[in-house]
Amino acid sequence: MSGSAEQSRAAGTTGARRAPLAGVRVADFTWVWAGPFCTLQLAHLGAEVIRVESQGRVCVTRLLPPWPEGQPGINRSGYFNQYNQGKQSLALDLKQPDALEVARDLIRSSDVVVENFAAGVMDRLGLGYEVCRSLRPDVIMIALSGYGATGPEKDYVSYGPAQVPLSGFSSVTGYRDWRPMHIGISYGDPTCGLHGAVAVLAALIHRRRTGAGQYIDLSQWEGTMALLPEAILARTIGGAAPERDGNHDPLWAPHGVYRCEGNDRWVSIVVADEEEWRALARVIDGSQGGPQSARRESTLAGDARFATAPGRKANEDALDEIVSVWCRARSAEEVTRLLQAAGVAAFPAMTAADLHDDPHLGSRDYFVELPHPEVGVKRHMGIPYKLHGTPLGVSRAAPCLGQDTDDVLTRVLGYSSERIARLRAQGVLS
Amino acid sequence: MSRATTPPERPDALAGIRIIECGDFVAPSYATKQLADLGAEVIKIEAPGRGDSTRLRGPFVGGRPDPERSGLFLYLNCNKRGIAVDLRRDEGQEVLSRLARTSDVVLHNLPPAEIAAHGLDDARLRAQRRELVVTSISPFGLSGANRDLKAHDLNLWCAGGVATLNGGGPGTDDLPPLKGFGQQANFQAGLNAAVASLGALLAALSTGEGQLVEISTQECLTSILEMTYEFYPYMGLVASRLGQKPIAPLDFLECKDGWIFICCVEEHQWQRFVELIGSPEWASLELFENRLSRAANWDALAIFLNDYTREQSVDELYHRAQARRIPFAPVSTMGDLLDSKHLKARGFFATIDDGSGGMVTMPGAPYQHAASPWRLRTRAPKLGEHTDQVLGELGYARAEIERLHAAGVVQ
Repeated sequence: MSGSAEQSRAAGTTGARRAPLAGVRVADFTWVWAGPFCTLQLAHLGAEVIRVESQGRVCVTRLLPPWPEGQPGINRSGYFNQYNQGKQSLALDLKQPDALEVARDLIRSSDVVVENFAAGVMDRLGLGYEVCRSLRPDVIMIALSGYGATGPEKDYVSYGPAQVPLSGFSSVTGYRDWRPMHIGISYGDPTCGLHGAVAVLAALIHRRRTGAGQYIDLSQWEGTMALLPEAILARTIGGAAPERDGNHDPLWAPHGVYRCEGNDRWVSIVVADEEEWRALARVIDGSQGGPQSARRESTLAGDARFATAPGRKANEDALDEIVSVWCRARSAEEVTRLLQAAGVAAFPAMTAADLHDDPHLGSRDYFVELPHPEVGVKRHMGIPYKLHGTPLGVSRAAPCLGQDTDDVLTRVLGYSSERIARLRAQGVLS
Repeated sequence: MSRATTPPERPDALAGIRIIECGDFVAPSYATKQLADLGAEVIKIEAPGRGDSTRLRGPFVGGRPDPERSGLFLYLNCNKRGIAVDLRRDEGQEVLSRLARTSDVVLHNLPPAEIAAHGLDDARLRAQRRELVVTSISPFGLSGANRDLKAHDLNLWCAGGVATLNGGGPGTDDLPPLKGFGQQANFQAGLNAAVASLGALLAALSTGEGQLVEISTQECLTSILEMTYEFYPYMGLVASRLGQKPIAPLDFLECKDGWIFICCVEEHQWQRFVELIGSPEWASLELFENRLSRAANWDALAIFLNDYTREQSVDELYHRAQARRIPFAPVSTMGDLLDSKHLKARGFFATIDDGSGGMVTMPGAPYQHAASPWRLRTRAPKLGEHTDQVLGELGYARAEIERLHAAGVVQ
């Protein structure tokens, strides 16, 4: 847990410990994962992020599990609550004519506008870049759409799981001789959320120096391909893309995830150089009766097939079999302890339960446990980077839908209580 | 900032910002690539002799391993100058100190136990320049019991909890948790390092104070587990690669010329797909009446759907589905990506000098800034290509530079 004093300093606006984006306001029209992950980065760095949401078009992540006790509820989803920490929620039904003026007032008082609707949706809502710029000449606006703002497929429908195959990742990810596979998560979403945060931060630096805002077009398809250079360049340089090859590496062996003692427990082991190979061989040979008692050629260290990196790679199936047998008799934690002590990179394949109870992560003040009105205190993942001079902290749990409506309208937009009451009566604030 | 001066037309976002990159492999290279491609000046320090280990990885221009012709290195290091300096030597550390005096960010991924021995201690560097940001990328962070453990990309993908989410589904217990293609733990660490460094840079521009920035790669990965991690604290459930998908169809099917990803999350998408394939009789079976029952009976449904898709071409089915607002995607091969009319129209792929007389095509801008565009200006440096030039700029005399070469401090 980060200390609350530290958190309030991070969120504060004075002194040397001011968070990097203190004073930067973000009008957040995003939903699902890519956009909210982008604005999460900005919230982590101290920006005031105001999510515009509505009961009529609830964020998909509010409708998905997990929910405590399995009881659904739009404020109860762990998915939403993980990726919207530190943000505020303004309930605004953009289908109502009078909502448009509120949205425009919010944009007028914001430095950054982030959206990840399909291309053209913001224009149709009357909130396109030209409108935003007329309201706020130095606004930075980023659109994180599936296909980008231009091109013949710009209006195509994009879902997170479909980005992984579209981007090329699935055609090169998978077990040897298997069909194309996924990565386990909608990998394009966080990847593009992070690329989007880089793009916005650079635009903020550009604005500091020139006074100019700008529009940023991020295609999730393209942002995801940026992480696939080895496969794309294999095609452009060598003519052939790599085959699907499980956990193997083109150069190093052993390079795998091996079954250990216990119920579906696994450990990863990677040997990248000769020193690591000698260490692995020493540990495995040593635990099988010791080098003195064995004939040298029957040891790993003495096996001529494995004497060089190309030899190990050429014989990796045989090597994997030997390593597998050795791991299978031990726990993933014991394999890790024995190999790390010898200087070999090994680590268990962590499950959610392993991560939740991990003493190392716990000791680093990484987890966030803040009170939430509907789910209580639940453990969430925190900020994966630390700024030692301006410590960051998650300022609050994810908002309930519309939790900050009155505060934003009053404090940020300067609306009177009469005006707010009128908007509420019209059904605009839902 | 002064707004009186007229800015040049479409200036680079990070023009005038100087970044020093040290360390090895993909993470620091990708972090500084973000900044270099938006106009920052990046000086990459490599170890003399060996250079960055991405130089040893293919694909290689010309087909044969050659540290000056690695496609991965060319991709990661365009727009940078490269110098080769042995940071384990005092005279090498002096070069780093002098660079620090005129730089905004020093970014590295030295293992925590080796940081000081390479002259990268943040207090020492920041003593050279108060505004300096020093960014450290490490496997497990700079504190805690696992601080000094060794971990390569696959180990970190496992340590972050991503690997256990990917596998062959129910009945494939014998197959291990599976990584995604390439060096993805490194890429994620690099992206987070870019975000955090830019944040600290913005703070330094306001306050005049730099600081130490710390990235834990394990934590970067635990922060992208989608909803899977929260199933444990919220419901006591542990997500597994062996689980049944809750809804269907959401799967890969083979066509006559490749693979397609069938994706019907909403009922209307499924109904439009059924219409697209001519409303066959089996589609009205009770077994397939909603997305949950389609998942429970996926084995049977997949047989029917396969009979259909095997006769289709990927490209035609993709566009026909999308024309009906059904979010299918092709399982793009690398060739498909390079041939895509959409990507061509957007000018995604970039082509640049490969350093040996040819041109190489690579992924281009991950984001398009209208006013301060992403761009490739110069090809990746050969090992030590800019050593003499940069040392000269730092005030080293010709004879001194030659002596450092002779002593093996620089290359």
